[in-house]
Amino acid sequence: MNKALRRLLILLVFICMTGFLLVACNNDSDEEGSENKETENTEDEKDDNEEEKEEVESGPQEGGTLTGAMYSAPAGMFNPIFYEEAYEANILSFTHDSLVSQNESLEFIPSLAKEWETNDDQTSLTLKLEEGVTWHDGEEFTAEDVVFTYKSMSDPDYVSAGGIRTAYVLPLLGYNAYSSGETDTFEGVVADDDYTVTFHFEEPNINPLYYASFPIIPEHIFKDIPVAEMPEAAESRDAGAVIGTGAFKFTNMIEREQYILERHGDYWQGTPYLESIVWKVVAQSVMTGLLESGEVDFIADPNGIPPADFETVQGFGNIEIIEQPDFGYQLLGFKHNHRTGEDVEAGALEPDNWVPNEKLADPKLRQAISYAVNREGLVDGLLYGRGQPINSPVATQFWAYDDAAATNYNFDPEKAGSMLDELGYVDDNGDGFRDDPDGNEWILNMDYPTGNELREKSAPLIEQQLEEVGINVNLRQPKEMTAYVEELTNDNTDWDLYLLGWSLGSADPDPSGLWATKAAYNFSRWNNPESEELMQKALKAPEAFEQDYRAEVYSEWQSIFSEDLPALLLYAQNSLWAYNKRLQGVDPLPYTMYQDAHLWWVNDAN
Amino acid sequence: MHKYIIRRILVFIPMLIMLSIIVFALATAAPGDPFTGKILDPTVDPEVFNEQREALGLNDPIPVQYLRWATAMAKGDFGESMYYKGRDVASLISERIVNTVYLGVFALVLTLIVAIPIGIYSAKNPYSPLDYGATTFGFFGLAVPNFFFGLIAIYVFAIKLGWFPAQGTISNIHVTGFAEFLDRIHHMVLPGITLGLAGTATYMRYMRSEVLDVLGSDYIRTAKAKGMSDRSVMYKHTLRNAMIPIITLMGFEFGALLSGAIITEQVFSYPGLGTLFINSITNRDYPVIMSITLLLGVAILIGNLLADIFYSIVDPRIRYD
Repeated sequence: MNKALRRLLILLVFICMTGFLLVACNNDSDEEGSENKETENTEDEKDDNEEEKEEVESGPQEGGTLTGAMYSAPAGMFNPIFYEEAYEANILSFTHDSLVSQNESLEFIPSLAKEWETNDDQTSLTLKLEEGVTWHDGEEFTAEDVVFTYKSMSDPDYVSAGGIRTAYVLPLLGYNAYSSGETDTFEGVVADDDYTVTFHFEEPNINPLYYASFPIIPEHIFKDIPVAEMPEAAESRDAGAVIGTGAFKFTNMIEREQYILERHGDYWQGTPYLESIVWKVVAQSVMTGLLESGEVDFIADPNGIPPADFETVQGFGNIEIIEQPDFGYQLLGFKHNHRTGEDVEAGALEPDNWVPNEKLADPKLRQAISYAVNREGLVDGLLYGRGQPINSPVATQFWAYDDAAATNYNFDPEKAGSMLDELGYVDDNGDGFRDDPDGNEWILNMDYPTGNELREKSAPLIEQQLEEVGINVNLRQPKEMTAYVEELTNDNTDWDLYLLGWSLGSADPDPSGLWATKAAYNFSRWNNPESEELMQKALKAPEAFEQDYRAEVYSEWQSIFSEDLPALLLYAQNSLWAYNKRLQGVDPLPYTMYQDAHLWWVNDAN
Repeated sequence: MHKYIIRRILVFIPMLIMLSIIVFALATAAPGDPFTGKILDPTVDPEVFNEQREALGLNDPIPVQYLRWATAMAKGDFGESMYYKGRDVASLISERIVNTVYLGVFALVLTLIVAIPIGIYSAKNPYSPLDYGATTFGFFGLAVPNFFFGLIAIYVFAIKLGWFPAQGTISNIHVTGFAEFLDRIHHMVLPGITLGLAGTATYMRYMRSEVLDVLGSDYIRTAKAKGMSDRSVMYKHTLRNAMIPIITLMGFEFGALLSGAIITEQVFSYPGLGTLFINSITNRDYPVIMSITLLLGVAILIGNLLADIFYSIVDPRIRYD
């Protein structure tokens, strides 16, 4: 064959391939392949027509299917008392109800319980239940189901069977005796009659409704299954066998791919408009594409859409985005103390044995470091502005959040520098980094975990910002989360700075789970008697029955936190939930999008 | 021959025991355990996890844990997953392995259908335009990372053109019978091509060079000198000899069928063994890690055994006794 022709052919093959690559990389550009556009347009037009028709008719339409997406498949545990992950919660929040839920100001509002009262010292809470509520299988919901739920969670076998929600039953009257098997009588939750149930607490309880906010499971389904065997029972994991009182029934699944919910016709708040909701498991990398093409209608917890995709998704035109601050936050922790080797070995948390971390001992030092970190910069650069720096470890949505009480560590490298100078941290040996007041090298070790892409990116940025004010940071290789948490816990190490994120609930702002001296999650090993006293004061009955009183105590605590700095709070990322505009009736709450799903409807149902 | 096979299979046993000890040691030596990686949740008392560790025997010395696992395994009990509460490992694996095998076989068939004819053609007509095209494609296939190709394929063929589904193994619960079969194939096209891409390139190159090699050898010249037709030289002499390295490759592929699709499975949210394996490693789900590793070990050993047996069929000079 002719040589020139051959070359031409090779060239052609090459061009085709490059072209193919370019087309594929065109992701962000607005011009899409024209033919594809056409097919989509026809669909859009159809949608549009229906929307127009819809406008004339107005009002919710009956029927239709909605497709939700999550990035990871649920582990497969659809029993509220045993599930662990947000992926299961996605399904359970449609299939199960609790006695009480929360409104947009995070106050508890009626759900399965229509009214309630507490006694004077708040050691008991009596709730009147809705009558005529039916389970998915038609049985009636009664107070016995409530008792059964809490009894199962207090069962001696509950924890060893894999249950982790003991926080909801710990304060109940007689919990210890019942859960250790000393007695067979469960006194914590008592059914007074079919529609009245009373929670009894060991001590006066400042937030009793929180304990009544757990989803209820049916007694008639589980009564013959010992708690130890509940996790493997079909009733806890198989579509069709899982029974709740929620607006949707979990009827079918293709495991790890699709989870199908169908409406519960007899739902006590009225028959849902939607025929069914299908959950699909999709890879995050293709999520935006599927939203655009309409293959997926909504994406919310636990990840929503990534901040980097916000503008792309907004540009689609067919997608509504709900942007709200998240309850969790990311932090740069300061190791105040380390534990001794023996304590780590024995798993003991004995503040008296703790070894102070001399490298970060002075609060002024930690403040100086905090001024050197450009938190606004992180939010703008990494989160594309979809978040905010926060100053206090209490979510901004809470009544307890007090921005004024906490010091705002605005990015101020000069101030950081002069503070360090004052403290005697200056460069003695001329290596460009500050040395400690004794003239010794001062190197801060910094560790961070993998798993959160934005946090991973923030580590080298923070290192750079600190080095700009002359702090020598030894940024070490990131560790996989499992390994990281182990080292964070077993902290007889040389750790100084660490990155971590917390996702927190909406129930109560009490920070003691993370910041109390002896809390296992107090990875900074922060030991501040003042803070300790305030945290306990905020939970002490009877004064703490008053929310205003607690708010006051917490604002004092927030000020101590931000002065003593067990950690610099970096930012709270906004949650970005997205849904297709065909979905109507969405009424998001600060902590969930799945509020009143029975009122959701789609405008192209007919 | 039979003796040979039996001997080979007996050798598997000590190898698998060794393998299990090494993997168990490595898995437990990795920092953390099934509970350290749990989402940190301040409402959950860490004491709860200690109690669960105790219940699962994770606080026992590692040799004790190994022996407990090994005795159960010897009885055919794969154990219970520590991450997927209340699920036994056998059911977890059997549920996933089907998908992985379908996908693997689909990709392999696709690979062979494309690679072998092109390889032969390239060898017969070296330096022809098609040979150059194939070579370019070969390097492209080897050079493009799987996940990248997968994403492009999804973007172009699933999202933009809408020809193939982007995710999963089946469109919905309602398709059954032959429609289900077609639907599954339809879902396998993109992941199958993605998975088979690098393999196709490799097989094609191997096939080409082997056939070229054999074509230049003395016995082919002899055969041609005897006046045999081109066709019969090709099929009777060349191919048989050129197939030997390909069979070795396929022997390895047999194990890779089960394990090789990890990345592709992730990109396509395809629930197979690969994703299960990765998840069980991140979650330190020891029983699942152990069972899958052993399974892969067995698959690779069997693959090699099959390859050895096939040698003797393809090449009569090779005999085992």
